[in-house]
Amino acid sequence: MKPIETRLARLARKGDQRAFAEIVDLYKDKLYHLAYRMMNNRQEAEDIVQECFLRVYKHLDRYDENQKFSTWIYRIATNLCIDRLRKRKPTYSLDAESSEHEGLDGYAMMPSDDRTPESEMLLSETQRIIREAIETLPPKYKSVIVLRYLQDMSLQEISEVMGMPVTTVKTRVHRGREYMRKKLENKL
Amino acid sequence: MKCNAAIAYMHDYLDGELPREQTAELQHHLAECAGCRNRLDSLEKTDALLRSAPKPESAPDYLAYRIMKSLPKSRNAKTWTTWVRRHPALSAAAMFLVIMVSSFVAMWNQSQELTVSGDLDHVVIRGNTVIVPAGQQVAGDLTIENGTAQVEGDVQGNLTIIDGNVTLASTAHIAGKIKTIDRAVDWAWYKVTSWFDTIAYGS
Repeated sequence: MKPIETRLARLARKGDQRAFAEIVDLYKDKLYHLAYRMMNNRQEAEDIVQECFLRVYKHLDRYDENQKFSTWIYRIATNLCIDRLRKRKPTYSLDAESSEHEGLDGYAMMPSDDRTPESEMLLSETQRIIREAIETLPPKYKSVIVLRYLQDMSLQEISEVMGMPVTTVKTRVHRGREYMRKKLENKL
Repeated sequence: MKCNAAIAYMHDYLDGELPREQTAELQHHLAECAGCRNRLDSLEKTDALLRSAPKPESAPDYLAYRIMKSLPKSRNAKTWTTWVRRHPALSAAAMFLVIMVSSFVAMWNQSQELTVSGDLDHVVIRGNTVIVPAGQQVAGDLTIENGTAQVEGDVQGNLTIIDGNVTLASTAHIAGKIKTIDRAVDWAWYKVTSWFDTIAYGS
């Protein structure tokens, strides 16, 4: 008996739109969490989730059923996030004051995202600091840290999603953790 | 144990991957190194903080709808491009066939004008008709394309007529064979064999 996603994927491949809608339903929140943590921006997170499902839909034929469906879909989403983060370059430090706009730092110049849901109004100072520290991680550490801590993946699962050896994943988790330690140490 | 090694152990420990033996070594080191105790303490705090990081809210309700709307209408898994991708050899063969046929047709249509090859000194050409007058001797083969042959004299080789016809007078004498070719396949075959003849004997 194949897992439910594999069966849904098979149906969707044959053109069953309802089966695909179920896949969307199963994964939209997980992928949105991932993308939101990676991008720290709702609009971009929504775009990435949409793009990810579109790719999944187009490339259903290429899905190898021996692989876990979740690994496949996470890989697509993670790659989309990393690509986007890299394209954001050249990176300017958000804390640096811009010479053109006196007194405005990067945060003030970002398109404001005022759709703050109630759940986030209650964010404590600590939580805000953690989030900001994650935001400053370089993409290659950010992806493993987000997968490890926010998606609760094992090192093995991360290595499958990222398509890299477990040892590399380990090194990145360690470096990412050290990075976070330095960021958080003097703030908390 | 050096502090560098201890830090690497700490990370493995936090990953839940430090074997029992090494854990004992680490404990031993921590007992005598205050710096590393602090380090582990702050790494553990970082770890706990990361785990407690707030899970973001769920995807907005309209997202699923937007996604389903954005999908292309049909998955069109069976378009010819996928077929081509799956059958590269057949596709190449089909492509080859198309090119062969089209060039063949092009060549076929090109040669509508009269072509005569052979001993031209002893023939008379009138319009589309090639006449070997009575009493004349054509040395060797005579080939006529897209024309009519009217033979009254001697041909000392083969007479070949492509896409045309031949009229033999009672005085005609042909030493070799008379060949009339008017079908595409025969024509192609003739082209190929004459090409090989050219290679084999030079002409």
